[in-house]
Amino acid sequence: MKTALFVPCYINELYPDVARDTAILLRNLGVNLEIPINQTCCSQPFLNSGYESSLPDNFNEIFEKYDYIISPSSSCTATIREAEIKSSNKTFELVEFLHDILQLRNLLKNHPPIILHNSCHSLRALLEGSPSELNIPYFNKIKNVIGCRILEAKRDECCGFGGIFSVKEGFLSYIMGKSKLEDLLNEDNLKEIKTTPIITGVDMSCLMHLESVAKKENIKAKFKHISSLLLEGIQ
Amino acid sequence: MKHQDLAIKFYKEKGKKHDKALWAIRQKRDKAIKGVKEWEILRREASEIKDYVIENLKELIDEFIKNAKNEGVEVYFAKDAKEHNEIVLKLLKEINAKKIVKSKSMLTEECSLNEFLEKNEINVIDTDLGERIVQLRGEKPSHIVLPAIHTTKEDVAKILNETNTDPTYLTRKMRALLRKEFLSADAGISGANFLVANKGYAVVCTNEGNADLGAILPPLHIISVGIEKIIPNMKDLGLFLRMLARNATGQAITTYSTIFGKKDNGKRIIILVDNGRFERLNTKFKETLKCIRCSACLTTCPVFRRSGGHSYRYIIPGPIGSLLAPLKDKNEYNDLPFACTLCGSCEMVCPVKIPFSKQLREMRKYVTNENIMVKIAEKSMHSATMFKLFSKIIRLTPKPILEKTLNQWSQYRALPAIPKERFIK
Repeated sequence: MKTALFVPCYINELYPDVARDTAILLRNLGVNLEIPINQTCCSQPFLNSGYESSLPDNFNEIFEKYDYIISPSSSCTATIREAEIKSSNKTFELVEFLHDILQLRNLLKNHPPIILHNSCHSLRALLEGSPSELNIPYFNKIKNVIGCRILEAKRDECCGFGGIFSVKEGFLSYIMGKSKLEDLLNEDNLKEIKTTPIITGVDMSCLMHLESVAKKENIKAKFKHISSLLLEGIQ
Repeated sequence: MKHQDLAIKFYKEKGKKHDKALWAIRQKRDKAIKGVKEWEILRREASEIKDYVIENLKELIDEFIKNAKNEGVEVYFAKDAKEHNEIVLKLLKEINAKKIVKSKSMLTEECSLNEFLEKNEINVIDTDLGERIVQLRGEKPSHIVLPAIHTTKEDVAKILNETNTDPTYLTRKMRALLRKEFLSADAGISGANFLVANKGYAVVCTNEGNADLGAILPPLHIISVGIEKIIPNMKDLGLFLRMLARNATGQAITTYSTIFGKKDNGKRIIILVDNGRFERLNTKFKETLKCIRCSACLTTCPVFRRSGGHSYRYIIPGPIGSLLAPLKDKNEYNDLPFACTLCGSCEMVCPVKIPFSKQLREMRKYVTNENIMVKIAEKSMHSATMFKLFSKIIRLTPKPILEKTLNQWSQYRALPAIPKERFIK
């Protein structure tokens, strides 16, 4: 199995630790992982801002030869998948890969309760869980892979990041982030948590936004990408 | 003012309450649709029926017109809003009408019929409770099913010159006032939720029965309806009636769902309105013609719930409005497709599976002018060397300049710290 790591550009720039943790996690789990060094951006910022983008050729050239392309981001994964290129169907979000391909479960079985932020693209584009809008049985792949007690928000709505939205509608973006934090840290969830709450998720972009709002509002919480959390658990 | 400014204004005044009220309706909707175990199958079927309708629109309209005429209903075809309004005026002039009672119709709003008739000295009374409230306030509806959701009971008491703010009391007062109008109106105008092609019937759904009073009491009933409301047959109607109210408000069915054919005590006239719809069939946005105006995409939208319907400035707000408004005026509404996080919730609640995320991205393209600088940036982002250079420039840029450039972010939140090293160096 030839596998490549696709590092979202903002993770490469702003969260190199998350990229590193994802790579170490996958290698520790026995995945033969390559990291193509000439990779760049999935084009989402352009596509979502109303511009054409020449993603397909570029992405295929680099990644076509691999069996699986793994990315620690549901929104970049969704962009590749929706582009309907040759590499689309072999591109997986990290947890999706762990759950569907490696079929791993309960990696953090004995961990104290963790708060999970379900990203929109994870929930509604990749269906890594059951969105509340649909009449389908409840499931959540992220929960299955983690395995310890997971606390979620009462509303599975957007955190307000939305990429270009966060810089076009700064106020609403911030307000939505604030209400998402209040929901994630609701009374019922906090009752089960003894120390500083840990908020995790598959998208560092949502977590980056939520962390910025938390700082502004003096809300005490730790934000940890799922890869860092899982790596701690298996080490 | 554009959406971002109107959103701030509305949120500070009423946003929290508005969000809470609409989320409660979303939850009622979830409960109702979860009571139908085949819901997701119904969505697929409804979507397929609507795909069929937009592919065969011309034929279905011809079939509808033939059957409606056989049924004893007069049918007109209006190519645009102006033609529609003129037909209505002509029909009203013929019977020397001075006052009409209107029940909810997004189409007459789209055509600005009220303003047109008032200019021609015909008094228009909106009879849907919410629509009457916004009419008396001199506003437009802010939601297509809950037109006065942005108002409070105090707002309603004020327009009725009442000090008592009890909702039941205010509703009864409005009911008594409206009853007089129904009894003295010269004609009734309504929209229609569905047109059944093989029968020539028009189907009108309301919760207050106001459309029925307006259709039955006066001697003339005009139905103004967009051509995309056509469905092939009565079996399809059964499917859509099961979905419409459940998805809109969480009711099993609207309180009044009336199938109108020939009018026994006078004339019934149906005006089929195109107003750009046929043209839309040849665009990338033809799937918006599948919409049944259930309003679920508005109610679920996390932006709409916080910014209110008026921030969209178009008669149909929310996600579906953000697709329709720019087709009417590309420059005026170029902000709307961006008043969206692409969260996909609208797509998940849509009973006819309009691919909102794809359509909204397409609409962003439609309103965005090509920009040579962006083209260069896009090309360079696909070169690892150029990206590296770009990354270096960002790292060398002083923080205050970054903050100023990303003002919409930094105004409300701290910018994340930029680490010294990248992962792939």
